[in-house]
Amino acid sequence: MTAMPAKPGLLQQISGLPQRGHMSWFEIILLAICVAWVAFGIAPTFQDVVVLSFLFAGLALAWNIAGGCAGLISFGHAAFFGIGAYTSTILFLNYNVTPWIGIFVGAVAAAVAGAVLSLICARLKGPFFILSSLAFAEVARIIALNWSSVTGGAEGLSIPPVPDLANMVLGSKTAYEALTLVYLLAAYAMTRWLEASRFGFYLFAIRDNDEAAAAAGINPLMVRSAAMALSAALTGMGGTLFAQYFLYLDPTYVISPELSFQFALLPAVGGLGTAVGPILGSFLITPLSELLRANLGNAAAGLHLVIYSAGLIVVMLYFPSGIAGALEKLKPRRPQR
Amino acid sequence: MNTIFQLVISGLLIGSVYALMSIGLTLIFGVLRVVNFAHGEFLMIAMYGVWAFSRLLGLNPYFAAIAVVPAMFLFGALVYRIVIGAALAKPHLVVVFATMGLSIFLQNVALMAMTADLRDVPPIFARSISIGGIFIKGELLLGFIVTLLCTVILQWVIKHTFLGKAIRATVQDGEAAKLMGIAVPRIFLITFAAGSALVGLAACVMVPLFSVFPTVGLNFVLIAFVIVVLGGMGSIEGALLGGFCVGVVQSVSAYYVAPAFGQLFFFLLFLLVMIFRPNGLFGQKGAATLGMNE
Amino acid sequence: MTALLEVQNVSRTFGATRAVDNVSFAVQPGELLGLIGPNGAGKSTLFNLIAGVMPPSGGQIILDGTKVTGRKSYKMARAGVARTFQIPKPYRQLSVIENVMISAFLRERSVTAARDLADVTLSDLGLAPYRDRPASELTVGLLKRLEVARALAMQPKLVLFDEIMAGLTPTEVGAMTEIVASLPARGITVIWVEHVLYAIMKTATRMVVINRGSVIAEGTPAEVARDPLVVKAYLGEEMQLA
Repeated sequence: MTAMPAKPGLLQQISGLPQRGHMSWFEIILLAICVAWVAFGIAPTFQDVVVLSFLFAGLALAWNIAGGCAGLISFGHAAFFGIGAYTSTILFLNYNVTPWIGIFVGAVAAAVAGAVLSLICARLKGPFFILSSLAFAEVARIIALNWSSVTGGAEGLSIPPVPDLANMVLGSKTAYEALTLVYLLAAYAMTRWLEASRFGFYLFAIRDNDEAAAAAGINPLMVRSAAMALSAALTGMGGTLFAQYFLYLDPTYVISPELSFQFALLPAVGGLGTAVGPILGSFLITPLSELLRANLGNAAAGLHLVIYSAGLIVVMLYFPSGIAGALEKLKPRRPQR
Repeated sequence: MNTIFQLVISGLLIGSVYALMSIGLTLIFGVLRVVNFAHGEFLMIAMYGVWAFSRLLGLNPYFAAIAVVPAMFLFGALVYRIVIGAALAKPHLVVVFATMGLSIFLQNVALMAMTADLRDVPPIFARSISIGGIFIKGELLLGFIVTLLCTVILQWVIKHTFLGKAIRATVQDGEAAKLMGIAVPRIFLITFAAGSALVGLAACVMVPLFSVFPTVGLNFVLIAFVIVVLGGMGSIEGALLGGFCVGVVQSVSAYYVAPAFGQLFFFLLFLLVMIFRPNGLFGQKGAATLGMNE
Repeated sequence: MTALLEVQNVSRTFGATRAVDNVSFAVQPGELLGLIGPNGAGKSTLFNLIAGVMPPSGGQIILDGTKVTGRKSYKMARAGVARTFQIPKPYRQLSVIENVMISAFLRERSVTAARDLADVTLSDLGLAPYRDRPASELTVGLLKRLEVARALAMQPKLVLFDEIMAGLTPTEVGAMTEIVASLPARGITVIWVEHVLYAIMKTATRMVVINRGSVIAEGTPAEVARDPLVVKAYLGEEMQLA
């Protein structure tokens, strides 16, 4: 029998570049920069973009739990986003429930929806799963658009822009940066926790080979539903934060295929199934798309999207493992521990 | 009573047109196991082509088929060469994003080139034909006939030519087909191009019925997906029957329930099929659980 | 002594084909049962029926006195039945040790304990040098060993081996045979489907021979090798029967 490998010290366990199951200096430095950015109030002109980048990084991490870790490629996550946003907003506007509580109610509602989607798609894989998630989100959108008495229909819902900390309407953009950063860190911590836990291993197992997983005693349907519910809950919470930042919910954006696409795109470009990938994806694409829209959107309608989509196709064909995957290739082959 | 009849007949006719635009998708789906998310934009491009041809030459859009169908075949082959073929070798998410990216790309190229203005052709038939008290738009009837003809011809090709057999073999088992000496990549290319050509044919029939604008594809692609799924991946008869179902459901529900909810019923129908018969009415058993290239 | 596994009049039809036709046999605890037969005999289908991949069209399956007919594969796994796959199904993006940990989680809840159990299993099977390699990098021979490691990490009552020798070199076959032979002594009952007959003939305590979906012979390896029906079933195929 070979001797058990000696457990390395805590500091030695931190690798240079991102690696599953280990903290890396890369991530520590990246997150430290984010915290410093908010704490020292850097670049006030870009605060909108920063808030969105943090928020979408959290949303990308949320999608990644289902899509990257469990292999459930959904293009309907905007439904969960919308459910979270509408739940907390309706509770606030009609029943005076503070969004600090509403955010969790929205998360639960979204989780239930996630479990439902999972049950609908119990026997489906690949393109059928993708199409079903699309259909699911479309059903949600049409309901939001037409159930005017509850959701405000096409007019949407507005939250009074009166700063009120108790009701999650913050006074400064810096405060929103902090709020969304907390969301990002929470989603990141959740992902890291998953990677190190039994449940996380089950997600990877059903992603890589669900027949083998079943033969190992794992109930694929249960695990899939749990993963989807968790992913949906986190996404719903992002929806609430969005509502509280923009103070307006427009159903044609909030539950749109475009938004669902974004949730999947960011982790894919950043690197699926990794903790840092979705963050990198958001930090790259969110500012880029804002930049393109701001500079080219006026030059010719649609030009910024032509460039954006062409770039997307090229990136997908040449960097299928995303940024994190490219980083992975830079690493020297580590001696086995 | 007459109303129901009218609705059903109209539904069947429009359904056949929907079916025509979906046949290409189901073929591609069945052979390459790939969802072409840019399918709607292929239709949009073809529709602009038909409109332009008809405008430039002052001809009836149906004659545009001579130019548009081969042009779409080449377009499909080109897209396959540049984008799809390379994406197939990668993890399946790449194809999804590549085709979605292509969809956005084509929509916005069209927007830049043609602006968002609606384009129409003048009506071909002066007024509706009346058969036994039921009013039928001539354009719809023609679409129905073209679809039926097309289906029959395609079925013949699939059953009686070597290409058709090669396609069927690839649908059933790509690996085995390769071992039998079938140049599967070439079959993929031909199928993708042929699917695009069929979309071109559908465009000729649809331009007299619908206005053309850059995002017109979005309206139709979801319908096409529902039809393909209902009928079963890779099944041409399935696409036809799926089209009829969808056409009738849309026609009847738009009349009796608010038109906004017409779309809702589509998606609910789709989800119901996914739960209870994921392989569709005529699809291969286990197709839905196979997913992508496995 | 109650049988660990009883297969009673089990059948499975696919459309018009009767892949498994009224098969009955029992496996006692501690036995090493060999299941052989020519290609297409229905061994894999029978295997999948026992493992819970599909329900039988008729008949009963009884595990340790409890009826388990039609129970799904994950439930069979939890009931103590482990299986390997003829074409290995590794978790490609996970490392070798992580592959085994997934199975170990059936017995150990904590990640550390599962990892330790996996480490022990890996070294039992000589896979320790590959511990941290991604499973996608392993050769076929190693993947088959990984299949066995995953099955054993589940600490099963009954393990079903599906052609674990195919594609292995003679040295590898020898090593694997030793591992399989050691299992009954560890309290693990084995049902082994195999084509590489010389390995199974010298290790199995009892044999069941299937042809065209039915049992055509049962007995010790020596008895079965002499059975004229068995020889006839294999006629035309190159097999070493001793």
